[in-house]
Amino acid sequence: MLAFEHVHFEYPETPPIIPDLSFTIGDGDFVALIGSNGAGKSTVSRLANGLLLPTSGKVLLDGADTRTTRTSAIARKVGFLFQNPDRQICQNTVREELAFGLKVQGVPEEEVKARTEEALRDFSLDGDWFPFTRSRGERQRIALASVLICRPKMVILDEPTTGLDYKECIAIMDYITRLNRETGLTVLMVSHDMELVQQYAKRVLVLTNGQLQGDGPVTEIMKDLSILEKAHVRPAQIPALALRFGDRFKDVYTVDEMAAALKAAAKKGGAPA
Amino acid sequence: MNLLQYQPGESFLHKLNPVTKLLAVFLYCVACIISDSIFVELGLIFLMLIICFFAGLGKRALSLTKNLLILGGMMFILQLLFVRTGTPLLKIGSLCIFTTGGVFSALLLSCRIIATMLPMMLLFAITQMTDLCGAMVKRLHIPYRYAFIVTTAFRFVPLFTSEFHDIEDAQKARGVEYDTKNIFKKIGLVVPLVVPLLMSSLKKVDAGAMSAEVRGFNLRTVRSGYRDYPFAAGDGVCIALTVVLIIISALL
Repeated sequence: MLAFEHVHFEYPETPPIIPDLSFTIGDGDFVALIGSNGAGKSTVSRLANGLLLPTSGKVLLDGADTRTTRTSAIARKVGFLFQNPDRQICQNTVREELAFGLKVQGVPEEEVKARTEEALRDFSLDGDWFPFTRSRGERQRIALASVLICRPKMVILDEPTTGLDYKECIAIMDYITRLNRETGLTVLMVSHDMELVQQYAKRVLVLTNGQLQGDGPVTEIMKDLSILEKAHVRPAQIPALALRFGDRFKDVYTVDEMAAALKAAAKKGGAPA
Repeated sequence: MNLLQYQPGESFLHKLNPVTKLLAVFLYCVACIISDSIFVELGLIFLMLIICFFAGLGKRALSLTKNLLILGGMMFILQLLFVRTGTPLLKIGSLCIFTTGGVFSALLLSCRIIATMLPMMLLFAITQMTDLCGAMVKRLHIPYRYAFIVTTAFRFVPLFTSEFHDIEDAQKARGVEYDTKNIFKKIGLVVPLVVPLLMSSLKKVDAGAMSAEVRGFNLRTVRSGYRDYPFAAGDGVCIALTVVLIIISALL
């Protein structure tokens, strides 16, 4: 469980980035964090894994204060996927890269081997690839694999799909969703892409100027256009359209649901009012 | 605060020709290096601080001196332990820890380091890189591409610093123990920092070269720049004064 308790954060001699922020994320949840550029999303994600420490207030991970826990200990529990995979890839082959995180954590040699081969299969990667010359999508997949191979309880994704094509994006998100469902991996995802958020997240936190503007189930936030506007994000198209059509369309979120609802309306006669 | 950052101002130091600044810094450093007297070195540090105060750079100069003191301190300890001339000052049993010669040369060297580094670092506070580059092309007729290399190298320092911090964060988030107290372990952990930095620099250089190319980098000549950098009377006075400094420090 991740808990922010009256977290205040600022760099010296600048106005506070996070004035006073409180929320909790339960185990097994899939939370999307959205907000405009400079709203403090990256700061929140870095506070959550102890890379930044709150100026005042507390960030608790399973009850342990990040201020008194070593970052290397936090890293065993919380994985972090950066927007730019090139910042973490540092080994000559994909196999070594995947094994690196485990070796750092002192996992025995044989288990390292077994888990590496398993991850290579899961992410359809070739262990002998030279990682630096692979495509952007493959590098991001390598980075994600080397984060998830450590089997963290929680993973923070900082705009994980920027610069990926649709197929690569779906591949990564589907894998994370499966882990979330099957192993109870907690996910905190920072994103600008509302289609992605609607498709995968269960709960949405909306951040503006370091303050929580909205916090609720994804279905609720998707229909609250004023909040989305404040967060400077483009609403997901189907829910926004459904909102125009009034009450009969209130449970419509996906293309399939929209198609079904439109057909039903056409049968009854007359366009949706 | 970034120690290499330009600090805008209208002082007499700012208004000097960039080439003069470069030459004056060089001559000031020569004065520091040829002197063998601790008092002259201290005097040169003090003089630099006074000049900075009059140019409105006092705060910057003091914080720089504070930072340089750490470097000076490290050199002091090294010299103290390795220079064995003169009579022993501290002995434990038959083992001589340091000597009078050691103390003298350690003091001289650390003062000299501070005295030479101070003007060099301050050059960045009072000179914009584009001006330095432009003046080197116009006045010294250095080909633009070489002047550009020098100034770009300095411009990249803060970029690399921030990139380095981001990479360190990324590796910390993977569980690499940079908070370890074991110094040998720490040295071994440099690889996951240096490799991504090297890779990203190579990519940056590639992209930078290409964008310079499409903007007509190769077409640039001496006459491509609009600004001229004429020498003024002040520049002559400045150089003359630094030459006098060299003579004084050579005589004392």
